[in-house]
Amino acid sequence: MAEVKVKEITRKLEEIHEKIKAEIPWEPVGPTPMPEIPDLRQWDMRLLKTYAPFYAPFCDLCCFCTYGKCDLTAGKRGACGIDIATQQARFVLLACLMGCSAHAAHGGHILEFLIERHGPDKKIDLGGSINIEAPHIRTVLGLKPETLGDLRIALEYVFKEIAHLLDSCHTGQEGSALDYESKALHAGMLDHVGMEVADIAQIVGFNYPTSVADTPLVDMGWGAIDKSKPVILVSGHNPATSTVVIDYLREHNLEDQVEVCGLCCTALETTRYSDKAKIVGPLSRALFFMRAGIADVIMTDEQCIRTDTPQEAAKVGSAVIACMDKAMYGLEDATEMDTDEIVRRMVDKREQFAILDSYKAAEVAVRVAMEIAPQRKKEWLTEEEAIELAKKCTNCRMCEQVCPNLFNIGGGITEVAKGNFDLIRQQFLHCIGCGKCEQECPNNVPIFKIMQTAASMETWKCRAGRGPVMDTEIRNVGAPITLGTIPGVIAIVGCSNYPDINDVADMVDEFAKRKYIVVLSGCAAMVAGMKKDKDGLTVYEKYPPNFDGGGVLNVGSCVANAHITGAAIKIANIFAALPLRGNYEVMADYVLNRVGAVGVAWGAYSQKAASIGTGCNRLGIPVILGPHSSKYRRLYLSRKEEDDWRVMDARKREIVDTVEPAPEHLAYVCETKEKAMVMMAKLCIRRNDTPQGRAIKLNHYISLYKKYIGAGLPEDIHLFVRRDPDIPLVYKKEVRAHLQEIGWQPREPVGLPTLIGTYPSKVPVDAVIH
Amino acid sequence: MSAVIPRHRVNVLTGIKSARLIEDPVGYADLIKKAKRPLLVIGPLLLASLPDGKLLLEYALDIAKAAGIPICATAQTRGKIVELGVQPDCVYDTVEIVNALKDPDWKGVKKEGNHDLVMFFGIRADLGNQGLSTLKHFAPHLKTMTLCKYYFPHANYSLPNFKKDTDWQEFLESLIANLKKGD
Repeated sequence: MAEVKVKEITRKLEEIHEKIKAEIPWEPVGPTPMPEIPDLRQWDMRLLKTYAPFYAPFCDLCCFCTYGKCDLTAGKRGACGIDIATQQARFVLLACLMGCSAHAAHGGHILEFLIERHGPDKKIDLGGSINIEAPHIRTVLGLKPETLGDLRIALEYVFKEIAHLLDSCHTGQEGSALDYESKALHAGMLDHVGMEVADIAQIVGFNYPTSVADTPLVDMGWGAIDKSKPVILVSGHNPATSTVVIDYLREHNLEDQVEVCGLCCTALETTRYSDKAKIVGPLSRALFFMRAGIADVIMTDEQCIRTDTPQEAAKVGSAVIACMDKAMYGLEDATEMDTDEIVRRMVDKREQFAILDSYKAAEVAVRVAMEIAPQRKKEWLTEEEAIELAKKCTNCRMCEQVCPNLFNIGGGITEVAKGNFDLIRQQFLHCIGCGKCEQECPNNVPIFKIMQTAASMETWKCRAGRGPVMDTEIRNVGAPITLGTIPGVIAIVGCSNYPDINDVADMVDEFAKRKYIVVLSGCAAMVAGMKKDKDGLTVYEKYPPNFDGGGVLNVGSCVANAHITGAAIKIANIFAALPLRGNYEVMADYVLNRVGAVGVAWGAYSQKAASIGTGCNRLGIPVILGPHSSKYRRLYLSRKEEDDWRVMDARKREIVDTVEPAPEHLAYVCETKEKAMVMMAKLCIRRNDTPQGRAIKLNHYISLYKKYIGAGLPEDIHLFVRRDPDIPLVYKKEVRAHLQEIGWQPREPVGLPTLIGTYPSKVPVDAVIH
Repeated sequence: MSAVIPRHRVNVLTGIKSARLIEDPVGYADLIKKAKRPLLVIGPLLLASLPDGKLLLEYALDIAKAAGIPICATAQTRGKIVELGVQPDCVYDTVEIVNALKDPDWKGVKKEGNHDLVMFFGIRADLGNQGLSTLKHFAPHLKTMTLCKYYFPHANYSLPNFKKDTDWQEFLESLIANLKKGD
């Protein structure tokens, strides 16, 4: 029996080696090429030992099968035997799989689209400053992709693993919350592979900027859109169609005659392709913008597009083309239909269609926009009209009951009725644009229409997405990041504006000013630019775009998140010279213990955010979420006074109890921006910090604490001071007095901290020594 | 909350265990007084003032003082609490204190054992409800209570949805008065 098992393992390994072209000796193949569910389980379990899952059930029940509904309160189990914790973990895994699938399927679509255009042998060339083109694919699969065709290997692996993970969610299977968490971490890791495939394909296939930091500053905000021209709105994430629209306009010399603007990540993708395209704003502005009727044609692709786009568009006379099979809205599929006929029916009868051929969709969009634009009125509501409409509001507060951001828009509307627009202008900054208030209103007050008067016509600047961090930049910052003299990398990602749209810009400004590296992506990258300082500058104009202390950079859309985590891997590989090929545990262990990076998904709402964050966690990067994200149901929290902070000192080969919770949590919810500011600094502390680096990090931790929480020192400061040189000069006296008062004792910093060697693993301790 | 439960509830269940609504400050005070090791968790919504200018935080501190309840400061509330002359007994964020509370062996903020009654006051409704859900499911060893002006279904005891802030204010003042009365 044992012999059969060995043969099976050998056969599997041979297959993997064939797929990843193991014979090409760019690095030796590590212990876990193309890992399957059990292969990194021990690493996960080690993480989960310190960062235990914290469940906040969103519902008391399980409703998945026909034996239910099952009440899971008070220790009860469902008909299949599942308990409440395992059900939460199962739900989180499902969310991560949705997110991971969305990115991977996006990657699959765009890859085939580009292979059709360029052929599978199109070389992957990310410019002269990027040699490690695919840190995730290299680390997870052990494959060095050289062509677009090679990226298929990565996606086939991701799709296969997704199927196994989804299988485990079926009723009557996995019975352990911890094993579901390990699977969720696996899904998160796969997500970063899928995202990397998608963005590499896009960069190569669309010739997006790469190996450059100083990408163009593009216009943002509806004030930037010239509504006297035909306006095409592209919405979603997949740029297959929006880029072809740009091509069509260029080929027909129409680029200056038609406005192309975008919502959500397609906006970011389109502005990587053309600096004439405009960004309307994040997802939270989608419904508002659609209802404003400025777009003559709306083209949807996939993910985070509104499911009521056809209905909303019809109300204001905008034409709709659904461009992806993920969202066809029940529309007639006109992919094979004659182009002239589609245009005629859209113009004359205002019909909406699904067109899955990007080239046809692009031509139709431009022609329809040019024909219908002159017939349409695009008028902004006046304040006088708003006052009249607002008079219907009785401030019954029904709207507040359904608001995901928990505020009473009725209060603002009643002020409008009195001619006061101050409150509604503030509320507009909190509005996430779901529209539930309006449908709840018993008096049918057109809240969104009234909000037009609150919406600023101001325009802002957003830096176009630049793709991967350059290897040359990593060489410059590797040492200061791991030593701690650059105090940290703050990655602000994902959906944008919970609880206040200004929060992200404030966070960026605070940390860039303090010489952290601030990296942005997705809708967060947009809202970072939607606030100006007293000199009228956005953070993109105020700070340099380099991956260096004090830099503020936008890597691109959601799928570009892979470049942020990829940069952490590159630090281990390029700076520390640790081999990455099929060597996930070593990379993750390095990042956890030595790279002071923290993710902030402040406005996270989607399943994609769940999988991106969980992928960060498996790689050892902690993530801070906004307060509403407690509805994701699961966090990874330590209890700093009681948890296991032991590591192996790889140089001395001994296990040391460091006492210090660094990083303290892996997935954490903060209630307020103020608290988040403090936590961001704290979660950048790593065991590897030199005394100089630690002193710099503690300086920021203490000063942010004093600024946002109040007088005094952080209550856990003693846990992070190892010896006197760790204490920042500015606070020396105060900290020393406090430490003396509580009986603090100095302890030796660990020379080379690692978790390897503290849990069962195939990886030897030697592997972490560079 | 009373609700009619259908005979075959397996088919229609929509939520199974909701907070007991208490509108009487005397009843609330009695529950607090009965607790052996209560804890008051203070959230950042208490940094706002009522129309009469009184800081909500002052009500929380009065309640703690009247009943001798230790305080946990969450988010950025510590600064203001200290400014008002009170030293919080511990500082955690909401998810951290909930994480500690769900461990029956936790020694509590006074190191005298985990708490038997935890009162939440001033935490955002979404985060508050989720934290209460954690305790409802994973902390059968303690009871939870809310003092905010809205109903929190995952708590053991909750106030109703007050339509007017003045009614809520009146409740809080009466609660404080009853706590001061002692047994």
